[in-house]
Amino acid sequence: MRCLTHTLFRRLSCLSPQCMPWRWSQILSPKELSLRQSCSARPGVMTATDVVNYWQKVFETNGIPEARESSEYIVSFVLGAKTFQSLSSKSLCTPLTVAQQEQIQQLSNKRLERMPVQYILGEWDFQDLTLKMRPPVFIPRPETEDLISLVVEEESLMYKKNSGLCFPVSAPHPVILEIGCGSGAIALSLLCKLPQSRVIAMDKEEAAVDLTRENAHRLQLQERIHVLHQDVSYSSAKQLLLWGPVDFIVSNPPYVFHEDMASLDAEILRYEDLDALDGGDDGMRVIETILVLAPSLLKDSGSVFLEVDPRHPNMVKDWLQAHPNLLLVLRAVHKDFCGKPRFLHIQKQSR
Amino acid sequence: MVNSLLVLGFVPEKPCPRLCMNVPRLLQFASLLRAVRAPGWRPWILGHMHFSLHRAPLLQAAGKKNSLSLLALTEAELEEQFVRGHGPGGQATNKTSNCVVLKHVPSGIVVKCHQTRSVEKNRKIAREILQEKVDLFYKGEESDVFKEKKALEKKKQEKKRRAKEHLERKKLFKEMQQLDTK
Repeated sequence: MRCLTHTLFRRLSCLSPQCMPWRWSQILSPKELSLRQSCSARPGVMTATDVVNYWQKVFETNGIPEARESSEYIVSFVLGAKTFQSLSSKSLCTPLTVAQQEQIQQLSNKRLERMPVQYILGEWDFQDLTLKMRPPVFIPRPETEDLISLVVEEESLMYKKNSGLCFPVSAPHPVILEIGCGSGAIALSLLCKLPQSRVIAMDKEEAAVDLTRENAHRLQLQERIHVLHQDVSYSSAKQLLLWGPVDFIVSNPPYVFHEDMASLDAEILRYEDLDALDGGDDGMRVIETILVLAPSLLKDSGSVFLEVDPRHPNMVKDWLQAHPNLLLVLRAVHKDFCGKPRFLHIQKQSR
Repeated sequence: MVNSLLVLGFVPEKPCPRLCMNVPRLLQFASLLRAVRAPGWRPWILGHMHFSLHRAPLLQAAGKKNSLSLLALTEAELEEQFVRGHGPGGQATNKTSNCVVLKHVPSGIVVKCHQTRSVEKNRKIAREILQEKVDLFYKGEESDVFKEKKALEKKKQEKKRRAKEHLERKKLFKEMQQLDTK
Protein backbone atom coordinates (compact mmCIF):
# COMPACT_ATOMS: atom_id res chain seq x y z
CA MET A 1 0.00 0.00 0.00
CA ARG A 2 1.32 3.37 -0.90
CA CYS A 3 0.19 6.79 0.23
CA LEU A 4 2.00 10.03 -0.28
CA THR A 5 3.08 11.67 2.95
CA HIS A 6 2.21 15.29 3.42
CA THR A 7 5.76 16.56 2.91
CA LEU A 8 6.35 14.43 -0.17
CA PHE A 9 3.10 15.57 -1.68
CA ARG A 10 3.81 19.23 -1.07
CA ARG A 11 7.17 18.96 -2.80
CA LEU A 12 5.56 17.27 -5.75
CA SER A 13 2.57 19.53 -6.12
CA CYS A 14 4.13 22.86 -5.14
CA LEU A 15 0.91 24.07 -3.69
CA SER A 16 0.99 27.31 -1.82
CA PRO A 17 0.73 26.99 1.97
CA GLN A 18 -2.59 28.79 1.80
CA CYS A 19 -4.15 25.77 0.14
CA MET A 20 -3.08 23.32 2.81
CA PRO A 21 -3.69 24.65 6.29
CA TRP A 22 -2.59 22.32 9.04
CA ARG A 23 -4.38 23.64 12.08
CA TRP A 24 -7.93 24.83 12.01
CA SER A 25 -7.06 27.89 14.04
CA GLN A 26 -5.17 29.10 10.98
CA ILE A 27 -8.30 28.71 8.88
CA LEU A 28 -10.28 31.57 10.39
CA SER A 29 -8.39 34.30 8.61
CA PRO A 30 -9.78 37.84 8.79
CA LYS A 31 -11.25 37.31 5.32
CA GLU A 32 -13.17 34.27 6.46
CA LEU A 33 -14.37 35.88 9.66
CA SER A 34 -15.91 38.73 7.73
CA LEU A 35 -17.53 36.25 5.39
CA ARG A 36 -19.03 34.45 8.35
CA GLN A 37 -20.48 37.70 9.64
CA SER A 38 -21.88 38.89 6.34
CA CYS A 39 -23.63 35.65 5.45
CA SER A 40 -26.20 35.60 8.16
CA ALA A 41 -29.38 37.65 8.14
CA ARG A 42 -29.35 37.90 11.91
CA PRO A 43 -26.12 37.93 13.88
CA GLY A 44 -25.28 34.56 15.40
CA VAL A 45 -28.15 32.80 13.64
CA MET A 46 -27.33 30.65 10.64
CA THR A 47 -29.60 28.49 8.55
CA ALA A 48 -28.48 25.55 6.47
CA THR A 49 -28.41 27.72 3.36
CA ASP A 50 -26.30 30.34 5.12
CA VAL A 51 -23.79 27.75 6.22
CA VAL A 52 -23.57 26.13 2.80
CA ASN A 53 -22.91 29.51 1.22
CA TYR A 54 -20.36 30.37 3.87
CA TRP A 55 -18.31 27.21 3.49
CA GLN A 56 -18.60 27.32 -0.28
CA LYS A 57 -16.85 30.69 -0.22
CA VAL A 58 -14.22 29.42 2.20
CA PHE A 59 -13.51 26.41 -0.01
CA GLU A 60 -13.33 28.59 -3.10
CA THR A 61 -10.94 31.00 -1.41
CA ASN A 62 -8.71 28.06 -0.56
CA GLY A 63 -8.80 26.51 -4.00
CA ILE A 64 -10.77 23.46 -2.94
CA PRO A 65 -12.41 21.78 -5.95
CA GLU A 66 -16.19 21.22 -5.94
CA ALA A 67 -16.65 23.93 -3.34
CA ARG A 68 -20.43 24.02 -3.63
CA GLU A 69 -20.95 20.25 -3.75
CA SER A 70 -18.61 19.63 -0.81
CA SER A 71 -20.34 22.23 1.29
CA GLU A 72 -23.78 20.86 0.45
CA TYR A 73 -22.88 17.25 1.19
CA ILE A 74 -21.32 18.13 4.54
CA VAL A 75 -24.23 20.28 5.72
CA SER A 76 -26.83 17.76 4.47
CA PHE A 77 -25.01 14.96 6.27
CA VAL A 78 -25.03 16.84 9.56
CA LEU A 79 -28.77 17.45 9.10
CA GLY A 80 -29.34 13.75 8.47
CA ALA A 81 -29.94 13.92 4.72
CA LYS A 82 -27.96 12.55 1.82
CA THR A 83 -28.26 15.48 -0.57
CA PHE A 84 -29.07 19.15 -0.28
CA GLN A 85 -31.87 18.75 -2.79
CA SER A 86 -33.59 16.24 -0.59
CA LEU A 87 -33.80 18.58 2.39
CA SER A 88 -37.23 20.06 2.95
CA SER A 89 -37.61 23.81 2.47
CA LYS A 90 -38.45 23.95 6.16
CA SER A 91 -35.14 22.50 7.28
CA LEU A 92 -33.33 24.87 4.93
CA CYS A 93 -34.66 27.85 6.89
CA THR A 94 -34.38 26.41 10.39
CA PRO A 95 -31.50 27.84 12.40
CA LEU A 96 -28.74 25.33 13.04
CA THR A 97 -27.87 24.38 16.58
CA VAL A 98 -24.43 25.14 17.97
CA ALA A 99 -23.60 21.44 17.98
CA GLN A 100 -24.53 21.15 14.32
CA GLN A 101 -22.43 24.16 13.39
CA GLU A 102 -19.47 22.74 15.26
CA GLN A 103 -19.80 19.41 13.54
CA ILE A 104 -19.94 21.16 10.16
CA GLN A 105 -16.84 23.12 11.11
CA GLN A 106 -14.97 19.93 12.00
CA LEU A 107 -15.90 18.18 8.80
CA SER A 108 -15.19 21.23 6.66
CA ASN A 109 -11.71 21.55 8.15
CA LYS A 110 -10.97 18.12 6.79
CA ARG A 111 -12.17 19.25 3.38
CA LEU A 112 -9.76 22.16 3.59
CA GLU A 113 -7.04 19.53 3.80
CA ARG A 114 -8.35 18.06 0.52
CA MET A 115 -9.81 14.99 2.15
CA PRO A 116 -12.35 13.46 -0.22
CA VAL A 117 -15.95 14.06 0.85
CA GLN A 118 -16.59 10.31 0.98
CA TYR A 119 -13.89 9.87 3.63
CA ILE A 120 -15.05 12.95 5.54
CA LEU A 121 -18.58 11.58 5.81
CA GLY A 122 -17.32 8.05 6.34
CA GLU A 123 -19.90 6.76 3.93
CA TRP A 124 -21.03 6.95 0.32
CA ASP A 125 -23.72 5.52 -1.91
CA PHE A 126 -23.24 3.05 -4.68
CA GLN A 127 -26.41 2.27 -6.58
CA ASP A 128 -28.96 1.41 -3.88
CA LEU A 129 -26.41 0.74 -1.16
CA THR A 130 -24.88 3.01 1.44
CA LEU A 131 -21.38 1.80 2.21
CA LYS A 132 -18.87 2.76 4.85
CA MET A 133 -15.80 4.51 3.49
CA ARG A 134 -12.42 4.71 5.18
CA PRO A 135 -9.02 5.88 3.95
CA PRO A 136 -7.04 4.56 2.22
CA VAL A 137 -9.53 2.06 0.79
CA PHE A 138 -10.42 3.02 -2.78
CA ILE A 139 -13.62 5.02 -3.15
CA PRO A 140 -16.06 3.57 -5.72
CA ARG A 141 -16.46 5.78 -8.78
CA PRO A 142 -19.89 6.48 -10.34
CA GLU A 143 -18.86 4.88 -13.66
CA THR A 144 -18.50 1.55 -11.92
CA GLU A 145 -22.25 1.45 -11.20
CA ASP A 146 -22.74 0.54 -14.86
CA LEU A 147 -20.50 -2.50 -14.48
CA ILE A 148 -23.11 -4.05 -12.19
CA SER A 149 -25.86 -3.66 -14.79
CA LEU A 150 -23.72 -5.39 -17.40
CA VAL A 151 -23.09 -8.42 -15.21
CA VAL A 152 -26.74 -8.67 -14.20
CA GLU A 153 -27.85 -8.50 -17.81
CA GLU A 154 -25.41 -11.20 -18.90
CA GLU A 155 -26.49 -13.40 -16.02
CA SER A 156 -30.13 -13.18 -17.09
CA LEU A 157 -29.21 -14.01 -20.69
CA MET A 158 -27.17 -17.01 -19.54
CA TYR A 159 -30.00 -18.19 -17.32
CA LYS A 160 -32.50 -18.00 -20.18
CA LYS A 161 -30.14 -19.96 -22.39
CA ASN A 162 -29.57 -22.69 -19.85
CA SER A 163 -33.10 -23.05 -18.61
CA GLY A 164 -34.64 -23.68 -22.01
CA LEU A 165 -37.95 -22.31 -23.19
CA CYS A 166 -40.56 -24.79 -22.04
CA PHE A 167 -40.35 -25.21 -18.35
CA PRO A 168 -38.85 -23.38 -15.41
CA VAL A 169 -35.69 -24.76 -13.90
CA SER A 170 -34.64 -24.04 -10.33
CA ALA A 171 -32.71 -20.82 -10.21
CA PRO A 172 -29.00 -21.29 -10.68
CA HIS A 173 -26.56 -20.07 -8.08
CA PRO A 174 -24.06 -18.02 -10.02
CA VAL A 175 -20.66 -17.85 -8.42
CA ILE A 176 -18.83 -14.59 -8.94
CA LEU A 177 -15.21 -13.85 -8.21
CA GLU A 178 -14.30 -10.22 -7.63
CA ILE A 179 -10.65 -9.26 -7.84
CA GLY A 180 -9.72 -6.11 -5.94
CA CYS A 181 -12.90 -5.62 -3.93
CA GLY A 182 -11.93 -2.39 -2.13
CA SER A 183 -14.92 -1.29 -0.05
CA GLY A 184 -17.05 -4.15 -1.40
CA ALA A 185 -19.18 -1.96 -3.67
CA ILE A 186 -19.21 -4.29 -6.68
CA ALA A 187 -19.45 -7.54 -4.71
CA LEU A 188 -22.27 -6.38 -2.47
CA SER A 189 -24.25 -4.73 -5.27
CA LEU A 190 -24.12 -7.96 -7.25
CA LEU A 191 -25.29 -9.94 -4.25
CA CYS A 192 -28.27 -7.61 -3.93
CA LYS A 193 -29.17 -7.65 -7.61
CA LEU A 194 -28.66 -11.41 -8.01
CA PRO A 195 -30.34 -12.89 -4.93
CA GLN A 196 -29.21 -16.43 -5.77
CA SER A 197 -25.58 -15.56 -6.28
CA ARG A 198 -22.55 -16.06 -4.10
CA VAL A 199 -19.36 -14.04 -4.23
CA ILE A 200 -15.71 -14.65 -3.51
CA ALA A 201 -14.11 -11.24 -3.06
CA MET A 202 -10.40 -10.67 -2.72
CA ASP A 203 -8.04 -7.79 -2.13
CA LYS A 204 -4.35 -7.62 -1.43
CA GLU A 205 -4.83 -4.97 1.22
CA GLU A 206 -6.01 -5.95 4.66
CA ALA A 207 -7.78 -2.61 5.14
CA ALA A 208 -9.92 -3.36 2.08
CA VAL A 209 -10.67 -6.89 3.23
CA ASP A 210 -11.77 -5.54 6.62
CA LEU A 211 -13.94 -2.83 5.08
CA THR A 212 -15.63 -5.23 2.67
CA ARG A 213 -16.41 -7.58 5.55
CA GLU A 214 -17.74 -4.67 7.60
CA ASN A 215 -19.99 -3.49 4.78
CA ALA A 216 -21.17 -7.05 4.16
CA HIS A 217 -22.19 -7.35 7.81
CA ARG A 218 -23.97 -4.00 7.77
CA LEU A 219 -26.02 -5.20 4.80
CA GLN A 220 -26.53 -8.66 6.28
CA LEU A 221 -24.87 -10.29 3.30
CA GLN A 222 -22.03 -11.98 5.16
CA GLU A 223 -23.48 -15.46 4.59
CA ARG A 224 -23.15 -15.15 0.83
CA ILE A 225 -19.72 -13.58 0.50
CA HIS A 226 -16.32 -14.93 1.28
CA VAL A 227 -13.60 -12.27 1.51
CA LEU A 228 -10.00 -13.34 0.92
CA HIS A 229 -6.86 -11.45 1.80
CA GLN A 230 -4.99 -12.42 -1.33
CA ASP A 231 -2.86 -10.75 -4.01
CA VAL A 232 -3.93 -11.90 -7.47
CA SER A 233 -0.37 -11.43 -8.72
CA TYR A 234 0.78 -14.15 -6.37
CA SER A 235 -2.24 -16.42 -6.43
CA SER A 236 -2.75 -19.76 -8.02
CA ALA A 237 -6.12 -20.77 -9.40
CA LYS A 238 -6.34 -23.47 -6.74
CA GLN A 239 -6.28 -20.88 -3.93
CA LEU A 240 -9.25 -19.06 -5.41
CA LEU A 241 -11.50 -21.94 -6.43
CA LEU A 242 -13.30 -22.33 -3.12
CA TRP A 243 -16.54 -23.43 -4.75
CA GLY A 244 -15.22 -24.74 -8.06
CA PRO A 245 -15.04 -22.86 -11.37
CA VAL A 246 -16.87 -19.54 -11.38
CA ASP A 247 -19.50 -18.11 -13.69
CA PHE A 248 -18.13 -14.58 -13.67
CA ILE A 249 -14.93 -12.77 -12.85
CA VAL A 250 -15.54 -9.09 -12.19
CA SER A 251 -12.91 -6.48 -11.55
CA ASN A 252 -12.15 -2.79 -11.43
CA PRO A 253 -8.40 -3.40 -11.38
CA PRO A 254 -5.81 -0.64 -11.04
CA TYR A 255 -5.67 0.67 -14.61
CA VAL A 256 -4.16 4.14 -14.45
CA PHE A 257 -1.06 4.47 -16.62
CA HIS A 258 1.91 4.94 -14.32
CA GLU A 259 2.95 8.14 -16.10
CA ASP A 260 -0.49 9.63 -15.32
CA MET A 261 -0.33 8.97 -11.60
CA ALA A 262 1.49 12.19 -10.71
CA SER A 263 -1.19 14.36 -12.30
CA LEU A 264 -4.03 12.94 -10.22
CA ASP A 265 -5.89 15.28 -7.89
CA ALA A 266 -4.65 15.88 -4.36
CA GLU A 267 -7.75 14.14 -3.00
CA ILE A 268 -6.60 10.92 -4.61
CA LEU A 269 -2.85 11.19 -4.13
CA ARG A 270 -2.99 12.12 -0.48
CA TYR A 271 -5.65 9.80 0.81
CA GLU A 272 -6.35 6.80 -1.45
CA ASP A 273 -4.24 3.67 -1.77
CA LEU A 274 -2.18 4.33 -4.89
CA ASP A 275 -1.73 0.60 -5.47
CA ALA A 276 -5.46 0.49 -6.18
CA LEU A 277 -4.87 2.84 -9.09
CA ASP A 278 -1.43 2.26 -10.59
CA GLY A 279 -1.61 -0.28 -13.40
CA GLY A 280 2.02 -0.06 -14.40
CA ASP A 281 3.55 1.51 -17.50
CA ASP A 282 0.62 0.89 -19.84
CA GLY A 283 -1.97 0.36 -17.13
CA MET A 284 -2.22 -3.28 -18.20
CA ARG A 285 -0.30 -5.07 -15.49
CA VAL A 286 -3.18 -6.30 -13.34
CA ILE A 287 -5.52 -6.68 -16.32
CA GLU A 288 -3.09 -9.13 -17.89
CA THR A 289 -2.64 -10.98 -14.61
CA ILE A 290 -6.38 -11.49 -14.36
CA LEU A 291 -6.73 -12.62 -17.99
CA VAL A 292 -3.88 -15.13 -17.65
CA LEU A 293 -5.56 -16.66 -14.61
CA ALA A 294 -9.11 -16.46 -16.00
CA PRO A 295 -9.27 -19.67 -18.09
CA SER A 296 -8.38 -21.81 -15.08
CA LEU A 297 -10.97 -20.06 -12.92
CA LEU A 298 -13.92 -19.85 -15.28
CA LYS A 299 -16.52 -22.36 -16.35
CA ASP A 300 -16.87 -22.82 -20.11
CA SER A 301 -18.66 -19.80 -21.56
CA GLY A 302 -17.97 -17.95 -18.30
CA SER A 303 -17.28 -14.24 -18.59
CA VAL A 304 -14.82 -11.67 -17.37
CA PHE A 305 -16.09 -8.14 -16.89
CA LEU A 306 -13.46 -5.46 -16.47
CA GLU A 307 -13.48 -1.72 -15.99
CA VAL A 308 -10.56 -0.18 -17.86
CA ASP A 309 -9.02 3.02 -19.17
CA PRO A 310 -10.55 4.24 -22.48
CA ARG A 311 -7.27 3.38 -24.23
CA HIS A 312 -7.36 -0.24 -23.17
CA PRO A 313 -10.01 -1.89 -25.40
CA ASN A 314 -7.76 -2.02 -28.46
CA MET A 315 -4.74 -2.94 -26.35
CA VAL A 316 -6.61 -5.82 -24.76
CA LYS A 317 -7.93 -6.97 -28.15
CA ASP A 318 -4.36 -7.12 -29.46
CA TRP A 319 -3.10 -8.82 -26.33
CA LEU A 320 -5.78 -11.52 -26.51
CA GLN A 321 -4.94 -12.16 -30.16
CA ALA A 322 -1.31 -12.56 -29.13
CA HIS A 323 -2.36 -15.11 -26.50
CA PRO A 324 -4.72 -17.44 -28.39
CA ASN A 325 -3.97 -20.35 -26.05
CA LEU A 326 -6.06 -18.64 -23.38
CA LEU A 327 -9.19 -19.21 -25.49
CA LEU A 328 -10.56 -15.85 -24.39
CA VAL A 329 -12.48 -13.68 -26.82
CA LEU A 330 -13.41 -10.01 -26.50
CA ARG A 331 -17.20 -10.08 -26.85
CA ALA A 332 -18.07 -6.43 -26.32
CA VAL A 333 -16.84 -3.00 -25.35
CA HIS A 334 -19.34 -0.89 -23.45
CA LYS A 335 -19.24 2.85 -22.90
CA ASP A 336 -19.73 4.61 -19.60
CA PHE A 337 -22.29 7.35 -19.04
CA CYS A 338 -19.83 9.91 -20.37
CA GLY A 339 -19.49 8.07 -23.64
CA LYS A 340 -15.99 6.73 -22.99
CA PRO A 341 -15.15 3.08 -23.75
CA ARG A 342 -14.97 1.74 -20.22
CA PHE A 343 -16.06 -1.88 -19.83
CA LEU A 344 -14.83 -5.05 -21.45
CA HIS A 345 -16.80 -8.26 -21.72
CA ILE A 346 -14.46 -11.16 -22.36
CA GLN A 347 -15.71 -14.69 -22.65
CA LYS A 348 -14.08 -18.07 -22.30
CA GLN A 349 -14.66 -20.18 -25.35
CA SER A 350 -15.72 -23.77 -24.87
CA ARG A 351 -13.12 -26.19 -26.15
CA MET B 1 -38.99 16.13 -3.69
CA VAL B 2 -40.36 18.70 -6.05
CA ASN B 3 -37.42 20.98 -5.21
CA SER B 4 -35.17 18.62 -7.04
CA LEU B 5 -36.42 19.30 -10.49
CA LEU B 6 -35.81 22.37 -12.50
CA VAL B 7 -37.69 22.84 -15.72
CA LEU B 8 -35.62 25.18 -17.79
CA GLY B 9 -38.37 26.10 -20.19
CA PHE B 10 -38.85 24.74 -23.64
CA VAL B 11 -38.22 25.71 -27.20
CA PRO B 12 -40.05 23.45 -29.63
CA GLU B 13 -37.59 22.31 -32.23
CA LYS B 14 -37.11 19.71 -34.90
CA PRO B 15 -35.83 16.39 -33.70
CA CYS B 16 -32.05 16.69 -33.41
CA PRO B 17 -29.49 14.09 -34.42
CA ARG B 18 -29.03 11.78 -31.50
CA LEU B 19 -26.15 12.41 -29.18
CA CYS B 20 -23.13 10.21 -29.84
CA MET B 21 -24.77 8.50 -32.83
CA ASN B 22 -21.72 8.70 -35.03
CA VAL B 23 -22.37 6.09 -37.71
CA PRO B 24 -18.77 5.28 -38.70
CA ARG B 25 -17.89 4.74 -35.03
CA LEU B 26 -20.97 2.63 -34.62
CA LEU B 27 -19.95 0.38 -37.51
CA GLN B 28 -16.48 0.05 -36.06
CA PHE B 29 -17.87 -1.43 -32.90
CA ALA B 30 -20.73 -3.27 -34.54
CA SER B 31 -18.76 -6.48 -34.66
CA LEU B 32 -18.23 -6.35 -30.95
CA LEU B 33 -21.82 -5.71 -30.04
CA ARG B 34 -24.35 -8.29 -29.25
CA ALA B 35 -28.00 -7.46 -29.73
CA VAL B 36 -29.35 -5.93 -26.60
CA ARG B 37 -32.84 -6.86 -25.63
CA ALA B 38 -34.06 -4.86 -22.69
CA PRO B 39 -35.94 -6.88 -20.08
CA GLY B 40 -39.51 -5.65 -20.06
CA TRP B 41 -39.46 -3.41 -17.05
CA ARG B 42 -36.04 -1.87 -17.35
CA PRO B 43 -36.27 1.38 -19.26
CA TRP B 44 -32.62 1.85 -20.16
CA ILE B 45 -29.27 0.15 -20.04
CA LEU B 46 -26.39 2.33 -19.04
CA GLY B 47 -23.85 2.90 -21.71
CA HIS B 48 -25.81 1.11 -24.38
CA MET B 49 -27.70 4.22 -25.30
CA HIS B 50 -24.65 5.38 -27.15
CA PHE B 51 -24.67 2.34 -29.40
CA SER B 52 -28.18 1.08 -29.83
CA LEU B 53 -30.19 1.98 -32.86
CA HIS B 54 -33.68 1.12 -31.76
CA ARG B 55 -34.31 0.88 -28.08
CA ALA B 56 -37.47 -0.51 -26.62
CA PRO B 57 -39.47 2.49 -25.48
CA LEU B 58 -39.54 3.25 -21.82
CA LEU B 59 -42.38 1.57 -20.08
CA GLN B 60 -44.31 3.26 -17.37
CA ALA B 61 -42.37 4.53 -14.44
CA ALA B 62 -42.18 2.03 -11.63
CA GLY B 63 -43.49 2.50 -8.17
CA LYS B 64 -46.66 4.20 -7.21
CA LYS B 65 -47.13 5.64 -10.67
CA ASN B 66 -47.73 2.22 -12.20
CA SER B 67 -51.40 3.02 -12.69
CA LEU B 68 -50.62 6.02 -14.87
CA SER B 69 -50.47 5.55 -18.58
CA LEU B 70 -47.75 7.88 -19.83
CA LEU B 71 -46.23 8.54 -23.21
CA ALA B 72 -43.15 6.42 -23.69
CA LEU B 73 -39.79 8.09 -24.14
CA THR B 74 -37.12 6.54 -26.32
CA GLU B 75 -33.46 6.99 -25.50
CA ALA B 76 -33.00 8.32 -29.02
CA GLU B 77 -35.01 11.40 -28.13
CA LEU B 78 -33.02 12.17 -25.03
CA GLU B 79 -29.85 14.15 -24.47
CA GLU B 80 -28.08 13.65 -21.22
CA GLN B 81 -25.41 15.70 -19.55
CA PHE B 82 -23.38 15.05 -16.45
CA VAL B 83 -21.27 17.37 -14.43
CA ARG B 84 -18.32 15.03 -14.67
CA GLY B 85 -15.95 17.30 -16.50
CA HIS B 86 -13.68 16.58 -19.44
CA GLY B 87 -11.06 14.77 -17.40
CA PRO B 88 -10.10 11.15 -17.87
CA GLY B 89 -12.92 9.95 -15.64
CA GLY B 90 -12.99 6.53 -14.06
CA GLN B 91 -10.34 5.83 -11.42
CA ALA B 92 -8.35 8.91 -12.33
CA THR B 93 -11.09 11.22 -11.05
CA ASN B 94 -12.87 11.41 -7.74
CA LYS B 95 -15.68 13.88 -8.17
CA THR B 96 -18.84 13.93 -6.12
CA SER B 97 -21.08 15.93 -8.43
CA ASN B 98 -23.71 13.42 -9.49
CA CYS B 99 -26.12 15.85 -11.04
CA VAL B 100 -27.89 14.64 -14.16
CA VAL B 101 -29.35 17.02 -16.73
CA LEU B 102 -31.76 15.31 -19.08
CA LYS B 103 -33.37 16.90 -22.12
CA HIS B 104 -36.25 15.63 -24.22
CA VAL B 105 -35.16 16.92 -27.61
CA PRO B 106 -38.49 17.04 -29.52
CA SER B 107 -40.24 19.11 -26.86
CA GLY B 108 -37.19 20.87 -25.45
CA ILE B 109 -38.14 20.04 -21.88
CA VAL B 110 -35.16 19.77 -19.53
CA VAL B 111 -35.03 18.17 -16.13
CA LYS B 112 -32.23 18.37 -13.60
CA CYS B 113 -31.85 15.80 -10.86
CA HIS B 114 -29.52 15.67 -7.92
CA GLN B 115 -31.73 13.87 -5.47
CA THR B 116 -29.35 11.05 -4.55
CA ARG B 117 -25.61 10.39 -4.25
CA SER B 118 -25.79 7.75 -6.96
CA VAL B 119 -25.52 8.74 -10.61
CA GLU B 120 -27.47 5.72 -11.74
CA LYS B 121 -30.36 6.52 -9.41
CA ASN B 122 -30.37 10.14 -10.47
CA ARG B 123 -30.58 9.06 -14.11
CA LYS B 124 -33.52 6.82 -13.33
CA ILE B 125 -35.36 9.50 -11.35
CA ALA B 126 -34.64 12.11 -14.03
CA ARG B 127 -36.25 9.86 -16.64
CA GLU B 128 -39.32 9.31 -14.49
CA ILE B 129 -39.77 13.01 -13.90
CA LEU B 130 -39.12 13.85 -17.53
CA GLN B 131 -41.63 11.27 -18.70
CA GLU B 132 -44.31 12.93 -16.58
CA LYS B 133 -43.43 16.39 -17.81
CA VAL B 134 -43.45 15.30 -21.44
CA ASP B 135 -46.77 13.56 -21.00
CA LEU B 136 -48.21 16.71 -19.46
CA PHE B 137 -46.77 18.79 -22.28
CA TYR B 138 -48.33 16.78 -25.09
CA LYS B 139 -51.58 15.72 -23.48
CA GLY B 140 -52.36 18.71 -21.31
CA GLU B 141 -55.52 18.11 -19.35
CA GLU B 142 -55.89 14.64 -20.87
CA SER B 143 -52.66 13.59 -19.17
CA ASP B 144 -52.95 11.16 -16.28
CA VAL B 145 -50.42 13.31 -14.46
CA PHE B 146 -52.78 16.27 -14.68
CA LYS B 147 -55.77 14.18 -13.69
CA GLU B 148 -54.04 12.68 -10.69
CA LYS B 149 -52.88 16.09 -9.53
CA LYS B 150 -56.42 17.42 -9.83
CA ALA B 151 -57.79 14.42 -7.94
CA LEU B 152 -55.31 14.98 -5.13
CA GLU B 153 -56.19 18.66 -4.94
CA LYS B 154 -59.87 17.81 -4.81
CA LYS B 155 -59.27 15.34 -1.98
CA LYS B 156 -57.34 17.97 -0.08
CA GLN B 157 -60.12 20.54 -0.51
CA GLU B 158 -62.70 17.98 0.61
CA LYS B 159 -60.68 17.20 3.71
CA LYS B 160 -60.37 20.90 4.52
CA ARG B 161 -64.05 21.48 4.03
CA ARG B 162 -65.02 18.58 6.27
CA ALA B 163 -62.56 19.66 8.96
CA LYS B 164 -64.01 23.16 8.88
CA GLU B 165 -67.55 21.83 9.13
CA HIS B 166 -66.56 19.64 12.03
CA LEU B 167 -65.07 22.59 13.89
CA GLU B 168 -68.18 24.69 13.33
CA ARG B 169 -70.43 21.94 14.65
CA LYS B 170 -68.23 21.55 17.71
CA LYS B 171 -68.36 25.30 18.32
CA LEU B 172 -72.12 25.37 17.99
CA PHE B 173 -72.46 22.43 20.36
CA LYS B 174 -70.29 24.12 22.97
CA GLU B 175 -72.29 27.33 22.73
CA MET B 176 -75.52 25.41 23.20
CA GLN B 177 -74.07 23.64 26.23
CA GLN B 178 -73.15 26.97 27.81
CA LEU B 179 -76.68 28.26 27.24
CA ASP B 180 -78.11 25.18 28.93
CA THR B 181 -75.99 25.56 32.04
CA LYS B 182 -77.12 29.16 32.60
